[in-house]
Parts: sequence; structure tokens; C-alpha cells
Amino acid sequence: MSTRIVMKLRVAESVATTPEVVRLTFVHPQRPELPAWEAGAHVDLRLPDGRTRQYSLCGDPADRSRYVLAIKREDAGRGGSLWTHANLTPGAVAHVSHPRNNFGLAPGARRHILIGGGIGVTPLAAMARSLAARGADYTLHLCARSAGQAPLLAELQALCGDRLRCWFSADGPRFDPAILGAPEDGVHLYACGPQRLTDAVQATLGRAGWPAERVHVEHFAPIDDADFKPEPFDALIASTGEVVHVPADTSLLEVLRRRGFAMPSSCEIGVCGSCECGYRDGTVIHRDVVLPLVRRQDRMMPCVSRARVNVTLEL
Amino acid sequence: MSATSAPRHIEAFAHAAGSVAAGVPGGATGWHGTLLNIHIAPAASYEMEELTEAHCVAGRGIEGDRYFLGTGTYSPKPDTREVTLIEQEVLDALARNDPPLQGGPIQLAPIDHRRNLTVRGVPLNHLVGRRFRVGEVILRGGRLNFPCKYLEELLGQPVYLPLYNRSGLNCGIERGGIIRPGDPITLLD
Ligand code: FES
Repeated sequence: MSTRIVMKLRVAESVATTPEVVRLTFVHPQRPELPAWEAGAHVDLRLPDGRTRQYSLCGDPADRSRYVLAIKREDAGRGGSLWTHANLTPGAVAHVSHPRNNFGLAPGARRHILIGGGIGVTPLAAMARSLAARGADYTLHLCARSAGQAPLLAELQALCGDRLRCWFSADGPRFDPAILGAPEDGVHLYACGPQRLTDAVQATLGRAGWPAERVHVEHFAPIDDADFKPEPFDALIASTGEVVHVPADTSLLEVLRRRGFAMPSSCEIGVCGSCECGYRDGTVIHRDVVLPLVRRQDRMMPCVSRARVNVTLEL
Repeated sequence: MSATSAPRHIEAFAHAAGSVAAGVPGGATGWHGTLLNIHIAPAASYEMEELTEAHCVAGRGIEGDRYFLGTGTYSPKPDTREVTLIEQEVLDALARNDPPLQGGPIQLAPIDHRRNLTVRGVPLNHLVGRRFRVGEVILRGGRLNFPCKYLEELLGQPVYLPLYNRSGLNCGIERGGIIRPGDPITLLD
């Protein structure tokens, strides 16, 4: 579980990197240094109504003076990006949390393959900067419709040189994960982008025999399972022995809150990892996109995940 | 954040701790302290902001602070937390890793510890059940502050154990007014 401090940062610069993507630079009005972070981290941006959106930091992790985010205007989205594009102009104040990382570079890896689809390239841009700075071996695959629609293209070209491979579907072949071939020792792969892309990467690499621990995926969109039918269930609180009933139309997080548990949360759509809690003795239906497979047997995200019939929570 | 949900504070000398301590004589006297810093946070988990001047409102808190507005993490639980204080001497001790309870020195800046007033020369642990003056404002010591795991989580620093038993004082405001860094702090009774 974790809660993160929210800072009021000032927008220092706003530049359109594509017609739909704005690149925003934030500084702290009083502190010369912002909290440290590592490539792959994201922050929460608070909207005026209290909701939050998660955005990956895409600047240089070594530069503590600023945070850089690239935000795509999603006309059909949940409203956060429209508000951001309209309001976060230079001089504006934004409520930004300390960073959190669910998508870090694997420490021991010998080579890194980064695959970014559209705006999903943002965490990978930070990874490429870190890897380039330490002279590591990496390749960045950038997938977009065209060069004009590829976020951060110019700076990535300058940074990565021929380590950048662009796949523009309007004028060439699409990226095909099959080109990655069989797994090699010490090679880790990171994919971020639309679920279509990350699903294809995971499925193809799974068939090619890549171990799941070496394929890292992140996406800031909730799981796409429109057919899911929530069922009621009971949760037993390990520390107190009380049983709380979770009706079909209410999240476990909500029920716990009403019972007086101070549960942290942020996105409440299963993408940020803030509400994580432990469980045992039960079948959990995981519906988040943040918890790695290996931790799902005893951890869950109560904002979206549920249980079959009953579960015991480590609270 | 709604400023209309008036916080539920327990008057300092009605608190279980303060009410008992008020009737027990003793404690340090003859000291003269100073107010070093004033910080408020607009809402739970927001970064603290430093003030050069603050308006204390009797029975309520520091204007603009989360516990004045009723938007603090602990606001739903009635308690004594109109104003919270911590000793600069404790922060100095943490910075020299004294006692060595954790990996090494901890730099806990006044902006990070989430207490409102950072003071020097004030024996806070002796002030439960006592009235004292900060500039023109009169505070009542209600109970000792207790470190929380929440702070440790927010800061990402292991401050829980090192702050144990020296985490400061939660006070009520008997008489409101304006306070500023540099204001003298003196015992009333
Ligand atoms: S609140 Fe973000 S994963 Fe649950």
C-alpha cells in the first residue's frame, strides 16, 4: 500500500510534440530539486474534481530540476487529457504526486528491448535516456501511424541514433513482435502502448518461449473486459475477524472504506498500484493491469479486483 | 476539498491525556523557546507549505491547514490536533543518527515532517496538560504526538522508530491570533 505526497508544481514549458501530444515541463516553485525517480516511473496528476490520471515521466531521470510529461489529447477519453491540454499552460499550477515505479529496468540485464506504441513511448523514452547515459545495450522500437504522429520523435532520434527503429504503419510495415525471435539470456523486453500491441507482444513472445519475468508491460488504460459480470462476495478481515459483504455493484475498495479502513487509492481503475493489499484463502478475480503475474497469488488491487464467493484480506 | 465540513476537535484539556496531566504538578520550567517555522498542508498528503505568518483560530486550527479545513488524513477521527508541534532538537538528533536505530542519519526537513510548528528550546514532552504562549497565541498541550506509519510511507524514509516518544505535541488553541517565525514561546502554567 502506498500513498504519495502531492506537490503543487509550476508548468515551465509547454511544447506540441505532435498535433495531439503536448510535452509539459514542470518545476517546483520553491525547491531546486524534485524527488528522485528511475526510468519507468509515473506520477499522478490530480484533476480539479479530485480524480487522478497517471502519466509516465519521459525526461531524464538524472535531471532532478524538472519533470517532463507528454500527454496526448484523447477526445473520446475520460476528460483528463482535455482538461490538461486546455489548462496546463506555462505558469499554471498542477497538482502532481511524487513518482512511483511499477515498470523499472531490470537491474542485471545485458540488453534491453523497448517497444513503444504511440504515447506509450513515454516511459521508454526515460529508459532510453538512462540506458544511453550508462552506455548500455538497447534498442527502441517506436510504433506510430506516421512520423508526424510519433511523440518525442526528434529528441529520440537525437538520443538513440541507430538504436531507434521506427515503424510507421502509414508508409511501411507494422511492427511484428515475431522479429524478436527466441529469448536470449539476459535480454529483457519492455512494452508500453495500446493493449492491442502489448497483448500481441506478450502472446508472440510467450509462444516463442520467453519467460514472463523478462517481458515487462505497462499500460495506463483499464483492462478491457466489458463482458465481466461482477458477483457479490464476502471478505474476511484477517486482523479483526469481521466479515464484510461486497455487493455486485460496489468495489471491494469502496466497501472497505465505508467500514473505516483508510485505504489509499489513486486511479481506481486498476492501473496505478496504489490500493494494493494482501490476501489468502480465496480465489481472486484479478482485473487490474498493474500487478505482475508472479505476485498475484497473494496480492490484489481492491479497486477493481474481486473474489469468488469469499476471500481473507491481510488487513 | 470542502471548507464547510467543520473538523471535529477534542478540546485539549478534555482529551484523555491532557485532562489527567493538567492536574499533575511538575515538568520543566524556566525555559525560553522560539518558533522557527510554520507549515500547513492544504489537504491530506499534500506537500507542506511554509508560511511567514499564520492565523490561528481558537478551537479550530491554523487557517488553510488540513485540520482547520477538516480535510486531513485523520480528520474523520475526533482528536486534539488543531496545531501540531515538533522540536528542532529532535530533527537535529535524527540528522546525527542519535540514537542509531536505523541505517544512518535521517534528514527530516521542517517541510517534510508534517507538523505545523517547528520550535527550538521547548520541552514539548513536558507540556501535556499545560498552557503556553507562542507570540500572542495561547496553546494547550492535549496529548503527545505519536509517529504514524503513514508518515513513513509518505516520506519513504524509516522515521517511525526514530520518532518514537519524541514525535511532538498536539495542541488546542485557547486564544487565537497571528504567529510568525521568531515568536518567543513561554510557559504560562
Ligand atoms: S487505485 Fe490504482 S490500482 Fe487501485
